[in-house]
Amino acid sequence: MPAPRRARTRLTCGLAATAVAAVLALAPLAEVTGTLREALAWVAGLAMVLAAAAALRLGSLLGPALVVLLAEYTVVLVGRGDRIDAAAPLFGAGLLLYAELASWAREARPGVSDERPVLVTRAIVVAASALAALGLGVLVLLAATLPAGGGLARLAIGVVATTLTLVLVVVVARPMSTRAPRG
Amino acid sequence: MTRRPSAKIAAYVGVAALALLAGLTLGRPELVAVAAPLAVLVVAGLATARDPELDAEVAVDRERALVGDQVTVTLSLRAGTRVERLEVLLVVPPGMEGPAGSPGGSSVAPRTTGTPRTWAAAVTLAAGEERALDIGLSCRRWGAYWLGDVHLRAHDRFRLFTWERHLDRHAPLKVFPVPEALRALVRPAETLVSTGSHVAPQRGDGIEFADLRSFMPGDRPRSINWRATARRGGLMVNQRHPERATDVVLFLDSFLDVRGPAGSTLDRAVGAAASLAAAYLRQRDRVGLVSFGGFVQWLQPGGGQTALYRLLDTLMETQVFATAAWKGIRHLPPRTLPAKALIVALTPLVDERGVAALFDLLARGYDLAVVDISPLARTGAAGGEWGGLAERLWALERETLRHRYQRLGAAVVEWPDALHLQQVLLEVEACRRRAGLAPG
Repeated sequence: MPAPRRARTRLTCGLAATAVAAVLALAPLAEVTGTLREALAWVAGLAMVLAAAAALRLGSLLGPALVVLLAEYTVVLVGRGDRIDAAAPLFGAGLLLYAELASWAREARPGVSDERPVLVTRAIVVAASALAALGLGVLVLLAATLPAGGGLARLAIGVVATTLTLVLVVVVARPMSTRAPRG
Repeated sequence: MTRRPSAKIAAYVGVAALALLAGLTLGRPELVAVAAPLAVLVVAGLATARDPELDAEVAVDRERALVGDQVTVTLSLRAGTRVERLEVLLVVPPGMEGPAGSPGGSSVAPRTTGTPRTWAAAVTLAAGEERALDIGLSCRRWGAYWLGDVHLRAHDRFRLFTWERHLDRHAPLKVFPVPEALRALVRPAETLVSTGSHVAPQRGDGIEFADLRSFMPGDRPRSINWRATARRGGLMVNQRHPERATDVVLFLDSFLDVRGPAGSTLDRAVGAAASLAAAYLRQRDRVGLVSFGGFVQWLQPGGGQTALYRLLDTLMETQVFATAAWKGIRHLPPRTLPAKALIVALTPLVDERGVAALFDLLARGYDLAVVDISPLARTGAAGGEWGGLAERLWALERETLRHRYQRLGAAVVEWPDALHLQQVLLEVEACRRRAGLAPG
C-alpha cells in the first residue's frame, strides 16, 4: 500500500536517527564518573531531546543537536587526558549518519511519496557517506599519530584546515540562492 | 529554476568549524576526525552540485467533461542531466479529486491532501531520460478549471541544494453538469413567429385543433371538416394552433450560495439551468441567460448547438462574488430580455437584490416562472427553542414572498431537495395553468 510506505520512510528514518543520536549521547558517559558524569547526563538528555525533535518534528534543531552532541564528546575527551580516543572515527561517522537520517526524515514529506529507486539511491548514499566518514576519521587519526613533522607540522596542518573550513563557512554564508530569470 | 541551499549546509559547516577550532585549541585530533567528514561532505556537495537541465510539459486529454468523468493530466518530464530526486506536485483544484491509484503503473504513490489539495510524487530521472506521468483526476463539481499548476523541486545527491520551478502552462477544462432528462417543460404564454414545438394560441397551420369556421375562398380543401359541414349545411373548415418557437431566458440568481451537506443552491441552479437550456434548445427555442449576482453575465437568446455550448461556457463561469453594489435589471442590454420571452428564474430567494429584480421583471410585464431553490434544508437543524422559532419565521417569510409573486402573476414553486427537477417543472406548469398563464 502506497500510503503506509510514505509514513514508514519518515518514521523509520526519524526513529533510526533518534536511536543513533541516543547511542552518541549515552556512549561517552561510560568514560566518565562522579559529578562530571551526572552533569554530562543532563547534557546527554538535552542532546537526545534536541536530536529527536530535529529528526521527527523540527528540522531547524539539527544544528543545535549536533553542537550539543559535539560539546558532550569534547568534554569527555578533555577528561580523558592525553590518551587518543580510537573510537573518534566511529563518533564522527555516527554524527554524520544521525544528521543524514534526520534530514532524510524531514525530506520525506507527508504529501510526497518516493518511488523505489529514489529510496534505494538515497539509502546507498547515506550508507556510503557514513562508511567514508569512518574511513576518513581513521585516516585523520592515523595522520595525527605519525611521528614525522613533529607537533609544529601538525599544528600548521590544523591551522590550514581550520582556515579552509572558516573560508568554507564564509562561502556558505554568502547568498547561494539563485532566482530563475523572468520570462 | 530557483536554487536554494538546504539548512543542512549551515549546520554541517558550523559544527565542522567549531570542532576544528576546538581540536586546534585543545590539541585533540579526535575532534578533527569528527569534523572532517562533515566538512568533506559539504565540499563534495558544493563541487558536484549543478543546475539540473529539466524540461516539463503539462497536457490535459480534453477540454470539456461532464461531472463524474475522469480526465488525465499528463506531465512529460525530460532531463538533460541526472536528477537524483524530483518532487512533482500537481495542484488539484477544489471540485476535482486526485487519483486513488498509482500513475502510469509506476510504483509512485500519489495522494491528495487537504486544502489546497495536491497530488505529489518523487521520481529519479537519469540523464536524457524522458518520463510521462499520467495523473487521473475525477470531476466532482461543475465549473471552469485551469489544470496544470505544477511545482517541481529537484534535489542533488547530497541534498544540499534544491531547485524549484513553477509551471504555469495552464490547460483549460470545463466540467459541465450532467443534464437531466426533461420530458415536459414550462410552456410560454406567447410564442415567436418561427416554427417550433410549442402550441401557439394563435390560429394557423398546425396539428392541434383550435376551432371551426365557415369556408372562405383560399382555404385548402383538406381543411374542410366534412362532419361539421354535413351538420351545418355549409362548408366548415378546421382551424388549428400552429407550433411555434419561443424565447426563453434563464435567470440565475448568483448573489448568494447556501451550502449544506445536501449540496449548494448555486450547484442546483446551474445544473437545472443547463438541463433547461438543453431541453429548450432541443425544441428549437432560442435560449438566453442572465446570471444575476456579483458578476452580471448575460447572453442574448440564441438557438442551436452553438448557443448551447456558449450558454454552458457562460454557466461554468458563474460564481458567487461578494459585492455590496445594488444591481438592477436596467443594467442589462434590452435585447437580452425580449418582450415576449418566458423567463425562468432559478433563485434561492435569499438576497434582497435578486428578489427585487424579480419584482422589477414582473412590473415590466414579463412572463415569469420562478423556481425557488429552497435553502431551508441546507442551513441545518436550528438549535434550541429560539432557533426553531427563527426557522419557522424564515419559512413563513419565504412563503409570504412567494404569495406576493403569485399575486403579481408569476408562477412560483419551491424546489425542496427531495424533488426531481421534472416534478418541479410540472408543478410550475400546473400553477401557470391555474393562473391562466399557460395554454390549457
